[in-house]
Amino acid sequence: MVETGIPKLDEYLKGGIPRGKTLVYLNHPGVEGDVFGMQTLYHNLQKGAVCVYVTSSSNPGTMKDQFKEFGWNVHQFEDTLLIIDAYSSLIGALSNENFVVSDPENIGNMTEMIDKAMKEVPKGSIIMLGSLSTIMDLCGEEDTLKAVKIWNKLALLRDHVIIYNFTTWPYEESTLNSIKTELFNSVITVGGIAERVIFGQYFGVLKADWSDTKIKSMLFRVLRPGGIKIYIPKILVTGPFNAGKSSFIHSLSNRAVSVDRLGTTIALDHGHIEYKGFSAEIFGTPGQERFDPIIQMISGEAMGIFLVVDSTLPKDFIRAKQMLEITKGYGLPYVIIANKQDLPGALHVDEIRSHFNIPEDVPIIPTIATSKEGVFEAFDVLVEKITGGN
Amino acid sequence: MERYSLGIDKLDENIQGIRSGYNIMIIGPPMSGKETIINNIVYQGLNDGEAAVIVTTREPGEDVLEWFNYNNLEISLEHLGIVDCVTKTLGVPTSDTANIRRASSPVDLTGIGVKISQFLEEFWMKKNIRKTRLCINSLSTILMYSNIQTVFRFLHVFTGRVKTAGAIGIYLVEEGMHDPQAVATLKQLFDGVIEIKEENDVHYIRTMGLSQKPSKWYEYTVEGAKIVLKDGE
Ligand SMILES: Nc1nc2c(ncn2[C@@H]2O[C@H](COP(=O)(O)OP(=O)(O)OP(=O)(O)O)[C@@H](O)[C@H]2O)c(=O)[nH]1
Ligand SMILES: [Mg+2]
Repeated sequence: MVETGIPKLDEYLKGGIPRGKTLVYLNHPGVEGDVFGMQTLYHNLQKGAVCVYVTSSSNPGTMKDQFKEFGWNVHQFEDTLLIIDAYSSLIGALSNENFVVSDPENIGNMTEMIDKAMKEVPKGSIIMLGSLSTIMDLCGEEDTLKAVKIWNKLALLRDHVIIYNFTTWPYEESTLNSIKTELFNSVITVGGIAERVIFGQYFGVLKADWSDTKIKSMLFRVLRPGGIKIYIPKILVTGPFNAGKSSFIHSLSNRAVSVDRLGTTIALDHGHIEYKGFSAEIFGTPGQERFDPIIQMISGEAMGIFLVVDSTLPKDFIRAKQMLEITKGYGLPYVIIANKQDLPGALHVDEIRSHFNIPEDVPIIPTIATSKEGVFEAFDVLVEKITGGN
Repeated sequence: MERYSLGIDKLDENIQGIRSGYNIMIIGPPMSGKETIINNIVYQGLNDGEAAVIVTTREPGEDVLEWFNYNNLEISLEHLGIVDCVTKTLGVPTSDTANIRRASSPVDLTGIGVKISQFLEEFWMKKNIRKTRLCINSLSTILMYSNIQTVFRFLHVFTGRVKTAGAIGIYLVEEGMHDPQAVATLKQLFDGVIEIKEENDVHYIRTMGLSQKPSKWYEYTVEGAKIVLKDGE
């Protein structure tokens, strides 16, 4: 399997792309879809794979420099990153690469070079087309589609994986359809959430003929440095007065602020988390009942909830369940945080479960928020529930 | 509805404000001061508190900024975004700045598109600016590297984005560089045209599609950073 190196995506693809198969990143114009291809390339170079990169819209040096802003140095892979230069001839520049497409407007020329490179690299290598849409722009839609079929067959013969980057400009409907449905073994869409402007980006698996996963789409963010991170715009932390919500948020976050007065939260807590390929915003509610209207206000559009309880105070569990109702948490993935496990009299997870009378599949995680114990385990569990395959 | 002005007095009086969502082609012969006209349009926008995104295909982003500097025109950098399609093709090692993001070449329409979108998002979402003008200087360079269908598809997407964002788009075309059929094809995407002509060393300008009737032809001269119109014919 060739991993994509994109968080979550390899899981959805059941481990990655099987040898001999193809994947296309279908990038809507204006979204940062090209980073997906770059991250996949870098991930595999780092793992020691031999990669052939076809550059058709920038010169090889510039192409390599573009990785820098994500903190990735591909210049170190001189021996394992081979370039097919389909750009220099276009602007009348000389090329130092081993594989040069002398006439980028001639698709036969491209096929020749791809064939040649595929034969020179070891079986099971990775071929990446930097921009299939640029090739299509130069060579025409029909001829390019035909050529892609040939390239895919050539790859299959030698167990190579081909990864395409394609920007979905308004081509013929039939062209786009054939790209979405028949030409490739797997199709990943990278799109934008737009209102007046594009303000959010997502990806989703449209097709992967070796696995049956049908998944919802995932929001993502691009960090510089860092690359693609799964983005969770809102996780809510709620629970009774003094349970340890603010402490939990501060332990989990790279940076966090609380609006507190005399040690109790009167408005909200907010933290930002960068952890294991995830980027999340976490919001905490106050605990006191007099703030219930605020709690309701803060809760909208959350993707998941941490319900924090003080494990030594079972009398507060009723209030905890009530807060889950106020935040409409029952419909969302939620995890119960059995906090203050260090204090004498703290109840065990099983005891808490019986007090709560909740289904077996609701996770209860023991934590000591003040010393960060258990908080990242809790994060893993909730995020898995939010982003999980089903 | 929001209106935009060009900053060229007699034309503005005639138009009474350009509707938001409009896409406009500026077409004229070489050496007619089109560059100054486009810079004036940007300057007017910034002065009106709007944002501007300039796609530069002929000179590095720094040179675009320098023009304003050199002419002592103060601009709010907070409101200006430049998509530089030149610097990376020169092989000069540079990185992006707050105002200048660099596409890898004029062929890289995908990259140009991403950078335009990033600026539009930044102005709308982060800076809460509701009016933006997008200026592409020039389409002619882009047409040198990509064929007309490709450029048409690119413009189809981005003239659409200008409409949904309630911005205006200004696209510069060199007259005489392209076959007339290509120019006619592109014109379908635009709501109006600013036309420039030269007769006996004298330059004239008029607008079409921006008011009920085409404007008169105004004789004009470029004086420093300014475009000065005489009374029309
Ligand atoms: N021993 C122990 N103390 C904890 C733990 N978590 C939090 N505390 C303490 O419990 C008190 C309340 O913690 P906070 O994080 O402010 O609780 P909160 O839920 O935000 O409280 P409100 O906003 O007032 O509802 C503080 O004194 C914390 O130091 C824990 O795991 N163990
Ligand atoms: Mg608190």
